[in-house]
Amino acid sequence: MTRSFLTRSVAPQAVLGLLMLGAQPALADPATIKDGVAQVAITLTGDDGGTCQLDADSAAAGPVTFTVTNVSAPAISELEVLAGSRILGEKENLAPGLPPARFTLTLDGGTYQIYCPAAAQQMIDFTVTGKLAARPQGEVADLLAEGTAGYAAYVEQTVDAMLVAVTRLKEAVEADDLEAAQAAYANARPFYERIESDVEGFVLPGTDPTDSSGNLDYLIDMRASNLDPEAGWHGYHAVERDLFEKQAIDAGTKEFAAELVANVARLDDLAKGLTYRPEDLANGAASLLEEVQSGKITGEEEAYSHIDLVDIAGNLEGAQQAFAFLEPGMKKISPELAERINARFADVRALLDTYRDPQALGGYKVYTAELRARDGKKISQAIQSLQEPLAQIAEKVATAG
Amino acid sequence: MTKRQDRQHKEAPALTRRGLFLGAAAGGLGAALPGAGHAGSAEPMTPAEAMSDAANPAMHLEYPFYSAADETAPQAGIETPPQRYTMFMSFDLTTRDPRDLQVLLARWSAAIGLLMKGRPVGQVEPERTAAVGLDTGEALDLGTAALTVTLGLGPRVFGPDFGLADKRPSHLRELETLPSDALRPGLRGGDLSLQACAEDPQVAYHAIRDLARIAKRTGAAATRWTQMGFGRASAGKGQETPRNLFGFRDGTRNIREAQDFNQHVWVENGPDWSHGGTYQVVRKIEMHIENWDNAQVSVQNAVFGRHKVTGAPLTGQHEFDAPDFARRDAAGSPVIPVDSHMRQMAHEENDGVKILRRSYNYTDGLNAVGRLDAGLLFVSYQNDPAHFERLQRRLGTSDALGEYVSHIGSGVFFVPPAPKEGSYIGAELFG
Repeated sequence: MTRSFLTRSVAPQAVLGLLMLGAQPALADPATIKDGVAQVAITLTGDDGGTCQLDADSAAAGPVTFTVTNVSAPAISELEVLAGSRILGEKENLAPGLPPARFTLTLDGGTYQIYCPAAAQQMIDFTVTGKLAARPQGEVADLLAEGTAGYAAYVEQTVDAMLVAVTRLKEAVEADDLEAAQAAYANARPFYERIESDVEGFVLPGTDPTDSSGNLDYLIDMRASNLDPEAGWHGYHAVERDLFEKQAIDAGTKEFAAELVANVARLDDLAKGLTYRPEDLANGAASLLEEVQSGKITGEEEAYSHIDLVDIAGNLEGAQQAFAFLEPGMKKISPELAERINARFADVRALLDTYRDPQALGGYKVYTAELRARDGKKISQAIQSLQEPLAQIAEKVATAG
Repeated sequence: MTKRQDRQHKEAPALTRRGLFLGAAAGGLGAALPGAGHAGSAEPMTPAEAMSDAANPAMHLEYPFYSAADETAPQAGIETPPQRYTMFMSFDLTTRDPRDLQVLLARWSAAIGLLMKGRPVGQVEPERTAAVGLDTGEALDLGTAALTVTLGLGPRVFGPDFGLADKRPSHLRELETLPSDALRPGLRGGDLSLQACAEDPQVAYHAIRDLARIAKRTGAAATRWTQMGFGRASAGKGQETPRNLFGFRDGTRNIREAQDFNQHVWVENGPDWSHGGTYQVVRKIEMHIENWDNAQVSVQNAVFGRHKVTGAPLTGQHEFDAPDFARRDAAGSPVIPVDSHMRQMAHEENDGVKILRRSYNYTDGLNAVGRLDAGLLFVSYQNDPAHFERLQRRLGTSDALGEYVSHIGSGVFFVPPAPKEGSYIGAELFG
């Protein structure tokens, strides 16, 4: 390919080198090799509102270490290496004054791009010459594809288990055993909370997408705060209301429980055909945590049983599973980001563990108004600290997949 | 380090090109009022034009964030003439790794530098559809609005967790428990503080919102308490003395001159890196508004020791008349009562101690029993927090004003000097 001065920032000495070499532009400025690893220095400056400058425009196939120094470019806080539209590696949290950041990628012959978001020139070409002896194992895209397949199996298993759990709930309701039904209700909740972001939006055949009575998520998980008067009460929370507020099982309760089983069975069929893109897992994990912040921290999800902490633990587990399936790929793209997200999951997990209570329904303390007033902020803050870094990964894995 | 006396001049704001153009074109904004004609034009401004950001020179004021390469200068937002609005937030560190703190201070510094230039902290609408915007966008097109963001470090930064104990500024510690403290658990302390001040509330809010996002993204800090404020309640040099929500002028005797800043505000002792910094005390002071409003005017004047409308001391005619603390009335009582706020806080009565006040009014709507929930977000700067404590101890015990206020929030922070371009606030901590 023909390279032009306009496609990259070139240091003056590099221009000189290119002019002197004349006929061999592709090898104008190859990276120096140190201990068998090509070394590329990338310097970020505030020139032109943000400039990304490379000291080499090419390297021989093999390991390449990029060393990024932000000298004076406040607007540039991250940098990526791309192959076409695929992301291979990145550095974030770049800021003037911080020590240089390094990352190493094994690159085969071809054309790559250094992507500096917010720089005056965002894309800079980088050429790798020659061929790798063998194709590297475990490329990001392969790892992510394995992850999405694994996640699809996880969703199927979870819905299978949900079907078993709601069937037990129905049996207890039919037996008029209030105490057993309450326990069965708490046991059946976490399955839906783990995967709800994947199964929202299913509409029963032949119904209008705007009609709540044909929306499977509404039929399974509607609650008082999103009651559509025309569609009425259904699903988990209709049963919950009878078991915990009325504290009584009647013919209506039995209808609700039987309908719940039928709808979860439909969901079970639908889940079997689902496939996922890597960003679906990332977005799904993010929206499970949004569910915690919007419905559970406030105590509105489990308005009668107050087992919101059980739901929160379910949302967290689902998000953590989704991330775990992306993690091998994410570790290749940005080990620091993957590590930070893992650390935040561990923090939230440890916090939730402090509310465990084997005697309580679902294994967690009752989320009373007092507990909410005392600890709601703490729980919400911990989850918020997980949400922010987690929100970054959809873009990374979508680009890598 | 250059002589501190030079600093006041160094901080003169730069009008942006747009602002200069406007100033020149309109021939001074006095001509840009509804009904009045443009200079050189017979057309009156429409209300929309008169209210536009473009017509408001304050929306184009820009202050530098970085200090010049050859000097040590304080952060903006201390000596800076108080802007009209503020957004304060304190943060808890959520890490024990000093590298996380280092990254946060560097990312915050870079972002503050951009914000003070009126630039977003990152892409608002990224090209990749799966990406999340880095800047939230609500300050686009609003201009610089004289924004300053001032960053402070709380006592725990120099505690056992981060290995920075030997860099601790000499006087940084938690404030003592003070008389009349009614601090609420959710409004206490913090490991880091950010105070944005601007001529537009949305510019100030946006700055803190996006900086808080960066804190959570780096995993280094989470929000602790916050307060929005309006109607600057302290005057800077050259400004007319504004009023607090008691209706009295506030800050008539505030620090204004370079000599006072050097003597009372800037730090000159302790570790080298801390020189040129200052200590920030933040107090959320609830006012018992309804009680105050129903206090007779002579009581109100006696509480402050001043006349409400003119701001003159009870012994004088004009705001800036020197108070005569010795004068007595016919009955032999001091004209400026012994327990009046002005006398209790006067440097003449406190061994010469002065603090720089840079406070804002606030309202949080109505309280739980339906009364006005409002007061003063008190912010002071001094070269030793003990100076604040000394004054507050008097206010809490013998100041007549104490009956009408409750101190419900509190924090103390060290505010390091401004960074140079290519560096960040507190970089010296991580050598």
